[in-house]
Amino acid sequence: MKVTLPEIRHDYSGFNGLVRLAAETKDCFLEDIDVDMAATTWFDADMCAAFGAILHRLGEGLNTVNLINLRPGVEKILSKNGFLSHYGRERIPDRWGTTIPYQRFDVKDDRYFADYIENELIHRSEMPAMSAGLLKKFRESIFEIFSNAVLHSRTEQGIFSCGQFFPVRHRLDFSVADLGIGMRQNIQDNIGLNLSPEDAIDWATQGRNTTKRGRVPGGLGLKLLSEFIDRNGGCIQIVSDAGYWRRENKRTITAPLSQPFPGTVVTVEINTADTNSYKLASEISGTDIF
Amino acid sequence: MQKDITISIFEVVGSPLCVASSDGQKVYERLAKVIKEGANVILSFYNVSTLTSAFLNAAIGQLYGEFSEEQIRSSLKVKDIQPDDLALLKRVVETAKQYFKDPQRFDQAVQDTLGDEDSGL
Repeated sequence: MKVTLPEIRHDYSGFNGLVRLAAETKDCFLEDIDVDMAATTWFDADMCAAFGAILHRLGEGLNTVNLINLRPGVEKILSKNGFLSHYGRERIPDRWGTTIPYQRFDVKDDRYFADYIENELIHRSEMPAMSAGLLKKFRESIFEIFSNAVLHSRTEQGIFSCGQFFPVRHRLDFSVADLGIGMRQNIQDNIGLNLSPEDAIDWATQGRNTTKRGRVPGGLGLKLLSEFIDRNGGCIQIVSDAGYWRRENKRTITAPLSQPFPGTVVTVEINTADTNSYKLASEISGTDIF
Repeated sequence: MQKDITISIFEVVGSPLCVASSDGQKVYERLAKVIKEGANVILSFYNVSTLTSAFLNAAIGQLYGEFSEEQIRSSLKVKDIQPDDLALLKRVVETAKQYFKDPQRFDQAVQDTLGDEDSGL
């Protein structure tokens, strides 16, 4: 079969383009699937995480995926970040070092993920100059996203990540996608609450709420991430099932997607020129913790 | 006089990146063992560069499911921790206390959400 892919931007329309691809191919088994990218005039590199998750799922269904008619600019960026290496192309050197490679991890790969973040993000010479406080918060946020996927997705098909620096715009985009159960289903299974997909995301981002049961408490990860993004002046988008959630300038918008994503995607856009000190306004005493 | 036992998170985890819940679990198991013995424990964050709530929930948050607040307060101390990490730990502890103290917590959260829906918010 042949499916077409529109331009994929790091926004609501980009996610809608990807979920349409997921829906069109969801029942494919043992098929040759040509993804025609002639109309894909733009592809934001961090969206490779969500795109790669969808294509990986097709591979799990024993389908053969071919990416065809790639525009030169799109082919170049997807070759530089290693995405096309998964689909029969050579990786090309990233001369300006602005890509954060596309990578798939298993849920037990948290150490490997940590190495990837340190080597491909934090210690790269091309990394925009960020204050020590910002770098620490940024690093913590990335790990919170990955931990969230590990703890909640119940996926066996892995976790996918990819990113991109924009030195002139002082922006860094980073995405983590999983092929797990999704927030709506997770909340329904664990809490018995039947929410719309977008309300489920909103519920999960509230500090008091968690689907965690048992001995280890939870519920802070996405709240901490939102707080950091609010202060940083960046943006966070979450897609889970057919829900879209975006927070920017301390305001949240939600919307339904035309089709469900087969898991959850969290993307952050970091303002790398942020000069906040991230020092605490008031000191907490070490003797008054417990 | 009872001896204080120091546990180095860096030594237990083997890395400055204390981010995985599974690594937090290793710290928890050591802490729980010491507290069960009735000894005092000092948890050292020396050389720890990055912490997540997932790690701290597993390492420390789950102590509140097994021990009383008084028991934890009297036997556990932290040292060599950066102020912002201390703030994160405080939030994890507060969340854990709520999580284990209030068995109706989920019902309340559900009711609140439904209430919001009913009022059209």
